[in-house]
Amino acid sequence: MILAIAEQHGGQVSSVSWEAIAGAQHLSTAANGLKVRVVVIGSSVGDAAGQLAQAAVEEIVTVDHPALGTYAADGYVLALEAVIAKLAPSYVVLPHTYQTRDFAPALAARVDRPLITDVIAVKGADAGPVFTRLVFQGKMAADVVPEPGAPCFVTFQIGAYRADAAVRGASPAPVVPAIVPMDAAAIRQRPEAPFREAKQAVDLSQAERIVAVGRGLGKQEHLAIAEQLAGLLGAEIGASRPICDLGWLPLERQIGSSGQTVAPKLYIALGISGAIQHAVGIKGAKTIVAINKDADAPIFEVADYGVVGDLFEIVPALATELRK
Amino acid sequence: MRIAVCIKQVPTREGQPRLNESRTWVREQDASFEMNEPDQYAVEAGLRLREQHGGEVVVCSAGPARVAQVIREALARGADRAIHVEDDRLAEADAAVVAEALALHMRGEQFDLVLTGLQSDDQGFAQTGVILAERLGMPHATIVIEVQFADGGLRVKRELEGGWYQWVGMPLPALLTIQSGINQVRYATLKGIMAAKKKEIRKVAAPATLAARQRIVSLYLPEKTKRTEMISGTPAETARELIRRLREDARVL
Amino acid sequence: MLEVWAFRVVFVACVAVFAVQMATRAWLVHAAKGSLSLAKLGARLRRVLLEVVFQSKVIRERPIVGLLHAFVFWGFVAFAGYSAVHFLRALGAVDFTATRWFHVYAVLVVPFAIAVLIAILCLVVRRVVLRPPALGQTVSVESVVIGLFIATLMITFLLDFRLTGGLATRINWWVHSLVILVFLSLIPGSKHLHLLLSPVTILLAAPALGTVPDLDFEKEEVGLEVVKDLERKQVLDAFTCVECGRCQDHCPAHATGKALNPKALILRNEDALLAGARDTRLAEVYEAGVLWQCTTCGACEYQCPVGIEHLPLIIGARRGLVSDGRAPQSLAAVYNNLERRGNIWGFTSDQREKFVAAAGFESFDRTRHEYLLWLGCAGSFDADFQKALRSLSQILRSRGVTFGILAKERCTGDPAKRTGNEYLFQELARQNVEDLKAAGVRRVLTACPHCVKTLGGDYRAFGFDGEVAHAALLVAGLAGNLRTDPGGTVTYHDPCYLSRYAGGTAEPRELLRRAGATLREAARHGRRAFCCGAGGGLLFEEHEAGKRISQERFEQLQATGASTIVTSCPFCTIMLKGAQASSGADTQVVDLMSYLGDRLKAGAEPAASALAPSGEM
Repeated sequence: MILAIAEQHGGQVSSVSWEAIAGAQHLSTAANGLKVRVVVIGSSVGDAAGQLAQAAVEEIVTVDHPALGTYAADGYVLALEAVIAKLAPSYVVLPHTYQTRDFAPALAARVDRPLITDVIAVKGADAGPVFTRLVFQGKMAADVVPEPGAPCFVTFQIGAYRADAAVRGASPAPVVPAIVPMDAAAIRQRPEAPFREAKQAVDLSQAERIVAVGRGLGKQEHLAIAEQLAGLLGAEIGASRPICDLGWLPLERQIGSSGQTVAPKLYIALGISGAIQHAVGIKGAKTIVAINKDADAPIFEVADYGVVGDLFEIVPALATELRK
Repeated sequence: MRIAVCIKQVPTREGQPRLNESRTWVREQDASFEMNEPDQYAVEAGLRLREQHGGEVVVCSAGPARVAQVIREALARGADRAIHVEDDRLAEADAAVVAEALALHMRGEQFDLVLTGLQSDDQGFAQTGVILAERLGMPHATIVIEVQFADGGLRVKRELEGGWYQWVGMPLPALLTIQSGINQVRYATLKGIMAAKKKEIRKVAAPATLAARQRIVSLYLPEKTKRTEMISGTPAETARELIRRLREDARVL
Repeated sequence: MLEVWAFRVVFVACVAVFAVQMATRAWLVHAAKGSLSLAKLGARLRRVLLEVVFQSKVIRERPIVGLLHAFVFWGFVAFAGYSAVHFLRALGAVDFTATRWFHVYAVLVVPFAIAVLIAILCLVVRRVVLRPPALGQTVSVESVVIGLFIATLMITFLLDFRLTGGLATRINWWVHSLVILVFLSLIPGSKHLHLLLSPVTILLAAPALGTVPDLDFEKEEVGLEVVKDLERKQVLDAFTCVECGRCQDHCPAHATGKALNPKALILRNEDALLAGARDTRLAEVYEAGVLWQCTTCGACEYQCPVGIEHLPLIIGARRGLVSDGRAPQSLAAVYNNLERRGNIWGFTSDQREKFVAAAGFESFDRTRHEYLLWLGCAGSFDADFQKALRSLSQILRSRGVTFGILAKERCTGDPAKRTGNEYLFQELARQNVEDLKAAGVRRVLTACPHCVKTLGGDYRAFGFDGEVAHAALLVAGLAGNLRTDPGGTVTYHDPCYLSRYAGGTAEPRELLRRAGATLREAARHGRRAFCCGAGGGLLFEEHEAGKRISQERFEQLQATGASTIVTSCPFCTIMLKGAQASSGADTQVVDLMSYLGDRLKAGAEPAASALAPSGEM
């Protein structure tokens, strides 16, 4: 049996849980059709369980305990260790989130079983499934097999499986509460409630998506076009140095070797030539999209996707497409 | 305050690693090595805590003899002494093996605080620190961006996804994995390098049997290489194609 | 008789005052570290001849004022014999004053005296009335007094011919002699010590601009931290300074409102040395932060008429700070990049490989390639400069110049060396030299002047003795006329490390002329060019005090009215392009090789034949 551990916050199942379920279902096909169950733990997880019950899985296991209300590593390890002891799965899969990284290694170490993290693919093989993960900063891929025995813990890279690829069931799966002994005193962490930081200052270095503007924008009024695109993407606005020198945007929006260095997942450069000082600031970005009229602009050397064209035509077209 | 910082020596990010004969790891002979970048932030965090609260910073590392290079680097930046678990078998070891090798010799030192980087630049398990906490019997917190001492214990700020943060209280001793980029790493000064030559590096042996929990059966280059893909057509076509690629290929939408 | 004894007493008193002050200073020099080198003696002696005897630099850099000073100097020299003879008589030793040759000599000195008188009065007026900023905010009383002393000497000398003896002559003589003796006693404590010291400091100054000796780590040298670390030449420099302010006038930091003032550095050294403040940190002797405002452009040293070497002082003091971990934040990141990635920006090598593959560069093979083309950090990662390198490679290929590149380059270490991180520099240097030697490189070609200086100069001490040339110099030797039709108005910005340091000012202009450009010169050009602001680690410092140096220089170049600014250094290009983008001006900024490449591409027949072997050389 494959046990997928879902993640919930405040009773809401996060979309990465569906990715884990999709991954578990895929692993199932590579592992001679092992059954899939989902476990969700926390305090008052009834709603969450109900949401998860839509998946085409054998059952949803819940652990409901006040001590699990706010996430703490020790609490999750205790609860899940007990669930695993009860259910004896062959595989335990999780999404590779910050939270998972916080407790999964401790859980695996507690039961002294292997944990293969950040897996991007699973392949079937005679001796059992083989897990692929990227190493050396993504330069190489490694096919990994765990030492024999059960369970084997696996975390899937976010985005390795698509949440909408998780197969839904014709009827809701049964929800089975699990009673596990929880010793709240054994939880050494004392977590306080999570919070968002009041944004006193713009911190582009933490932004996941950035839309940046350069001289190609032409006039300060045209910032609205970029802001519209940024709004649709949930992105922050950034700028190359001349824009800040001209006063169109404040200094804290400047991206460059001595402005902010950023590492977003998505960086869209509008009308930016890509001179070296700017290129240095964005070299950590995962995916760079450049839109510029000048085919010779240096930005195209560092971009992953490039469009040579008029940003005043392309950007509105992007906005239209995103709204669909 | 006795602070341990665990560091790993990895092949440089710079280089393009080349496969060994069995295609299960890289050729060490051609590779250059450096301190794992996330560990640098842990070292810096440790040094700053010592500056604020006094005590000593002990750098711990597990690996072959060549690991001495990064140990010296950490000493040159200001660590006081080091423990080197020396064994060639540790070069390719998985996180559990490394954590156990370190724990074996760290237990006796009665550290108040253990710091590690988030994950390594080579294997990237993101596990060693947490497993080490488990083996040392310490509570832990990961992705820590700030550390405060309060009432004989710790209060640390953790980074969560999506712009959320959380403060967590813990008793000492404890282990923390430090988020990358939270501080400006100091460079090794000339004086530091000269002083490092005189600092103690205690060499100890790894356990006789190392139980690997996982192994690499095949190492290879992934299909995608860095290339600029130009998209052309009418604005509408371009927009559609770009968004499709961002969704399906790059998976950032 | 009474007169003789009176004179003897005064003479001895003044000489004693002189000697005591000289002894203090001599002791300070002796107590300082370092040795005084006389390597390349021939070049040094030649410089002493030109700069001291013929006052060449003094006159060349400030013609009118310089000439006036030259007259004063030559007058002094001419006078020496006259005063000496009179003193010998006055001391009761020997009397040549009645001899015929002495009378002839005295008459020959007259025109000198008149010249000196006129000159010194002009200079005093300049100081008191005109008040040039180089001489400081307040009028130097000491200088005016000395000036008037000199005037008095000349007047009393000339008067002597008119006076026929008796009391008037005696009084005149005493005034004359007292002035000399008082002057003598004032020399050590004033800037006029240069009268004695400047030939020494000019002789001892290194022949090449900005010579900074390497640190010996075996001896645990860490650079200059406190006043007592100042080396002998630096102590001499502090005492020889004439406070003329030429260094200050030419310093780009000072010109843009920063606190850095090269003259102040030297004078504060002097004050600190004389005050006995041997354990005071140099960083506290100067104003806070000024050591990091220097671009190492070398204009100060180049201008100095008395051989003061500002660069070893600034870089030495930087070393002291860096070895203690006190480099500015912006540089700490650069050092990390250099250490981990081998380049200043922290890029990974796949960016470089992309360019190398696209440009079709071959790996250097000593059996097939004459030159190693050194890309440098900019050549490896800066798309703008890579354009220039493509043009260069086309020009080279069309002329049959064979070249290859190193498979793996790391930064030459120039930014580390100029900002005082000597350890990092030596690490990079040793590794690069190993690679260069292993590949059998004998001749290096590069389009970055910083790489030229480092590879061709600093690397000598690490065992690399290949020839290193800047691309412009090589190409100038290859190509004939590139275009005959007009190529628009262009102004050429001389990179400091090519012009002032290496003297390469003619070749780029020659190439521009042959490409059909009409050249307009900025007021400060050639070896007097104004820095772009990138050197000395300032490339990485965005938050400059005062006005941005790059903006100031851009405006100077813009003022020529040229439509294009051409330069031959990737960092000058980065700075000036940045200034252009921020100013919204139309003026184009382009590297010389890119400019030539564009001219070649756009041209028809003349271009093709221009690079044929029959072209003029």
